[in-house]
Amino acid sequence: MVMSMKQASREKGRPLASSLFAAILYVVMFVIYSINAPSAITLGGITDLLNNTIVLAIASAGLTLIILAAELDLSSVGVIAVSNVLVATVSTKMPAGTIGTLLLVCLVGLLVGLTNGWLVAFLGLQSLACTLGTMIMCQGIALVILDAPGGEVAAFIMNRLTDTVFGMIPVAGLILAVVVLAWLLFRRTRLGIAIYAVGTDAVASHLTGIDVKGTKLRVFALAGVAYGLAGYLLSAQTGTGDPRVSNSFLLYVFAAVAIGGTSLGGGRGGVIGSVIGAGILTVMQKLLFAVGVADFYTNIFSGLIMVVAILFGNLSAILTLHQRMPLTRHGDRGYSAQ
Amino acid sequence: MVKRDVSSLTPILQATGVHKRYGATIALEDLSFSLYPGEVCGLLGENGAGKSTLVKILSGIVVPDAGEIALEGQAYQPHNIVDARTRGVSTAFQELSLIPTLSIAANLFLPKPKVNAIGLVTIRAIEELTETILKQHAVFDVSPSTLVGDLSLGLRQRIEIVRAMLREPRVLLLDEPTAAIADREWLFGLIESLLARGTAILYITHRLDEVRRLCKRCVVLRNGRKVLDAALEDMTDDQIFSKMAGRSVVETYPIRESNIDESAPPVLAAHKASAAGVNDVTFRLRRGEILGLAALEGQGQSSLFRVLAGLVPLKGGSIEVNGGPVRLRSPRSARAAGIILVPEERKTEGIFNDLSTAANISIPVINQAARFNFIRNRKERQMVERGASRVDLNSRYLWPNINALSGGNQQKTILARSLLANPKCLLLFDPTRGVDVGTKQIIYQVIRKFAREGGAAVFYSTELDELVHLCDRCLVMYRNAIVAEVRQEELTPHLLLSLAAGHKIDVHGTA
Repeated sequence: MVMSMKQASREKGRPLASSLFAAILYVVMFVIYSINAPSAITLGGITDLLNNTIVLAIASAGLTLIILAAELDLSSVGVIAVSNVLVATVSTKMPAGTIGTLLLVCLVGLLVGLTNGWLVAFLGLQSLACTLGTMIMCQGIALVILDAPGGEVAAFIMNRLTDTVFGMIPVAGLILAVVVLAWLLFRRTRLGIAIYAVGTDAVASHLTGIDVKGTKLRVFALAGVAYGLAGYLLSAQTGTGDPRVSNSFLLYVFAAVAIGGTSLGGGRGGVIGSVIGAGILTVMQKLLFAVGVADFYTNIFSGLIMVVAILFGNLSAILTLHQRMPLTRHGDRGYSAQ
Repeated sequence: MVKRDVSSLTPILQATGVHKRYGATIALEDLSFSLYPGEVCGLLGENGAGKSTLVKILSGIVVPDAGEIALEGQAYQPHNIVDARTRGVSTAFQELSLIPTLSIAANLFLPKPKVNAIGLVTIRAIEELTETILKQHAVFDVSPSTLVGDLSLGLRQRIEIVRAMLREPRVLLLDEPTAAIADREWLFGLIESLLARGTAILYITHRLDEVRRLCKRCVVLRNGRKVLDAALEDMTDDQIFSKMAGRSVVETYPIRESNIDESAPPVLAAHKASAAGVNDVTFRLRRGEILGLAALEGQGQSSLFRVLAGLVPLKGGSIEVNGGPVRLRSPRSARAAGIILVPEERKTEGIFNDLSTAANISIPVINQAARFNFIRNRKERQMVERGASRVDLNSRYLWPNINALSGGNQQKTILARSLLANPKCLLLFDPTRGVDVGTKQIIYQVIRKFAREGGAAVFYSTELDELVHLCDRCLVMYRNAIVAEVRQEELTPHLLLSLAAGHKIDVHGTA
């Protein structure tokens, strides 16, 4: 019964439409930005912008998977913090530091993700509550590993990952392209389809034979890896470790997902929208900086743009909502359908 | 349609002594039955008789507490739905199990659609396959890539059925398969071709005409027990209906001392009222009257209640309260007009979880216990105790959290709350569902007393006995419209049931 209520109240907004809107918004903002800051369209400018985008983009890509499965996850910033201080402490000391550290942070993310997934899927805990716990725990662990900003990130990570290859392609752009490509493939896998199914209607998914718990566990694990990777890339940019670096980051991750048109109710949306959403948030900050808006006004605009983006992304759904009767329920889904 | 005589064969599925209880409620008790290859066996019963529990057990969703099931001579204890399916038991669920955000093709092949060498689902291949399958099952004019959420309910039900048939099951469970399908011949044709392959079909419905059409044999459940397992030829419709409805034991009803005030304008009246899920409903509810409403699941009764409670806007017609036209824009305006709903879903629509029972009673009228917006505890206590005494709710239940109360006491709480607001008209949606026998008696008395003192009530119940014994008059809804009005003298459970199942019976005094 709960299931059908959920079904009925879910809007029919097309995710495609809302991520398309996000893309248009991005282009518009980028154009305005480049008019105000001509350096934006140089290779250096683009590389810079992509470098600034990529951490948020990858973290929100991870969160998107969770939200598609109709769960929530706050642990991203915790994992990013741990990942960042790990890179700052071990990347210069480890043999094969670049790859080794990468594997290490992905493993940490995986472990946190599996923990979250186990708590949520198998113990049935509320994802918001228990990922809040793991987030705080991870932030604590980050403080234990590195109790004050400092440490050193291996020069190779710092230089190569923020630069360009062949003198023309920004590495960050390459990584983003790989993420998007991986997503396009992933969403055609059985797991990818199962995530949408579980997020749309867990009861019906169970009835069709989908392993709901297993799907959720995998989703949390994948997201954890994405957060680990995001922390790694963050370290490449800051070049140092800071256990509190990601504290302000959490809401932006959610904002990117929401702007990208992924429904917080689950089952609708996708990673591409979130990547664009991350791009919008980043370019907006740069734009505001370029036109000389003081730093403390940026939040007002960020918030405003977010509301506008979500409003437009859901415009069709909002319009149809008013024509429907409230509280439609299966009890009377009735015979008039044919 | 060929009805095969299968009695000489060995059963394909045999259940013996199956028990299942949920908490204190017994869903199935000592159920034994067999299914033979190549037969359609009808499974009939009222709402809550145990039909869906049986479906869930056979399809692996619910594990029985006791009893044995054998499939083709081997023990059959499916752990989950995939397990059941691999053993050859496939189900088309009543609560359709399709995912609206996925395409028809993806839905047909869940949970394991075909993948290519690198693990990607081969969308084109499964869509082509779907195209063929849909054609084979006579579903035309729909593209396999359409999202299920964009289909009409009838088409969704067809897809659900096709999916169950697709796996070439040995045993097929069809749970209310025609609830949304207008063209029943489509289904009957498919069933015929499955029977030719020796599939056994358990056909769950409350429509007797379908059972007569398809089955040689039917099983009737009531209150979790099998009350009939017989060849249909030997039974009249009346006999089957009375088996289904059956007079339940030990229940007594308060004496019907009606005090209907014919002269006063009707407390509540609808004139050609239409809304989503309600077609052209006309009735008059008089002062002092308990007006019953009988209907099988999903015949528009919830919509009608929601219209009357101000939850759903009226599209056509009018509603009158005390002889004057009203517009019920919201539950608030319905309350203002003296109409109070006792909702269907106690847990989600009725109680405020995590509040005390007392707070649950006093919330809507808490202003009466407040001075300058501060609640005066003593006043609240008096008010709550007055309410509780009207429904015989022991005052020791008042201060704990309402979650700690049994379903019966929660329902008493909701009634107490409704009565405190001094309603003119109560809308009671199945108020005795999941309530113990003792509480039922009290609920009957409370409703009766309310009516005797000049109130009026619309009373929907899934238990026909209640309607027969409590109501002064009973309306029957079928397919979103009122199809009959039965006077008190003529009320019998099986008359109501056959009317509610859409049988046209000439009732003396039909509206």
